Formats: sequence, structure tokens, C-alpha cells
Amino acid sequence: MTIDIATYLLYLAISIGLTIWVAHTLHKNGRVFLVDVFHGNEALADSVNHLLVVGFYLINLGYVSLALKLGYTVATAKEGIEALSSKVGMVLVVLGAMHFFNLYVFSRMRRRATTRFQPPPVAPDAFTAVREA
Amino acid sequence: MTSLTVLYDPDCGLCRRVHAWLGEQGQLVQLNLIPIKTDEARHRFPHLDHEVTSKDLTVISDQGEVYFGPKAWLMVLWALVGYREWSYRLAAPELLPTVRRVVSLISQHRYQIGRVSVFRGE
Repeated sequence: MTIDIATYLLYLAISIGLTIWVAHTLHKNGRVFLVDVFHGNEALADSVNHLLVVGFYLINLGYVSLALKLGYTVATAKEGIEALSSKVGMVLVVLGAMHFFNLYVFSRMRRRATTRFQPPPVAPDAFTAVREA
Repeated sequence: MTSLTVLYDPDCGLCRRVHAWLGEQGQLVQLNLIPIKTDEARHRFPHLDHEVTSKDLTVISDQGEVYFGPKAWLMVLWALVGYREWSYRLAAPELLPTVRRVVSLISQHRYQIGRVSVFRGE
């Protein structure tokens, strides 16, 4: 096996491993949030959680696959490690950005769900009798 | 609180425009719009000073809480799905004085604003 091929294979193994780990973390810890957002409707929370994770996998694996090509040949092990490092570094940054985006989506959903039960923003100026229409 | 009654001025174009716009918005609390100084308004709120309602927007909850002027505008925002967050933001102590100024300016000049074609509620 040439150093080129070894670099590619290592890149795929590390990137896919990282994607699975982040998706798993998101899936496990996002559920609590979603159950709260959907007022204890666990079936709906699980469904949305699953759909979010599928989207997460698609985007990340898509990026990993598109970014595979090096564009130059790697002759030595040193060059191989350098190429691997910069590729995996980009994958980590993309994963991080996606992860924070997901957190933003979760917190936004949660905020939306909780404002529904919040009291008026101001106190009334006066009180008056109300007759039915 | 499950519903809010909004007493609006049917003679101003801007108010009619807002009336139409409110109908298109998703409501968290039901909004009932009644024109000011009508028999219906006097019947629903027998002890209210109806002369005051022509000066600025008045909102009354089904519990009898009366909100007038800037507070009435904030309550209308609070009732809408897309604007509830804004009602809290605008009610913050840093912004409320500005909201008061802007709302009273709009209310005083509502007939002039209503003549501008974009705001005409036909």
C-alpha cells in the first residue's frame, strides 16, 4: 500500500469515526431538550431527533467525501501526516460549526415553545367591568 | 387570560390597515377588534371612560385589565405568535421610554399617516 492510499484510508476512518461520535452525542443529549420542547410528547421528540441526526450525517459525510481528494501526491510519511492533519482539521471545524448550529436550532425551538406560557410584558393601567357580548 | 379586546379608531386609515394586518397574523391570545365609541364598546365596558379611548389605542383583557397607549400596543404584539418575543424586548426598561415616544407620536399623527397611500386601509 502506497503512502497516498494509506493517507486516504486513514482520513476516511478518522473523519467517519468523528462524525459518528458527534452525531451520537447530539442524538443522546438532544433528546432531553426535544422532549421538553414538545411538552413531554416523547414519540414526536424521538422522531424529530432522528430526522435531525440523519440531516447531520448527510451533510457531514457529504463534506468528508467531497474533501477527500488531495490534489497532489504524497511521497513521504511526513507529508502524509501533514496532509491528513489539514484534512481532518477541516472536518473538525465543519463538524464543530454544524454542532453549534444544531444547538442553536434546539435552543430556538425551546424558546419558542416556552414563550407560549409567558405572562404579559407590562402591568395593566386600570381595571374595568366586562360584560359578555 | 384567553382573549383581548382591542378598541380601535375606524376613522383612521392606519388603524384600518393594522386591523387587516392583525387578521393575517397567528394569535396566541384571541384578539377581538371593536370600533371605539360604538354601542358594542359601551355595552361591553359600561364603566370605561370612552372619551379617552379616542386618544390612543385601548386593549382590555377578558379579566377586565385595561392597557392604554404604549402598553396596549405591547399587549397586541404579545398576543401574536411572531411578535411575542418582541413584546418583551420592547417592554425592557431601556427601550420602553422610546416605545412611549414613538407610539404617542404615531397616535397623535394617525390621521396624517393614514392619508399616505401605503397605509390606507381600503
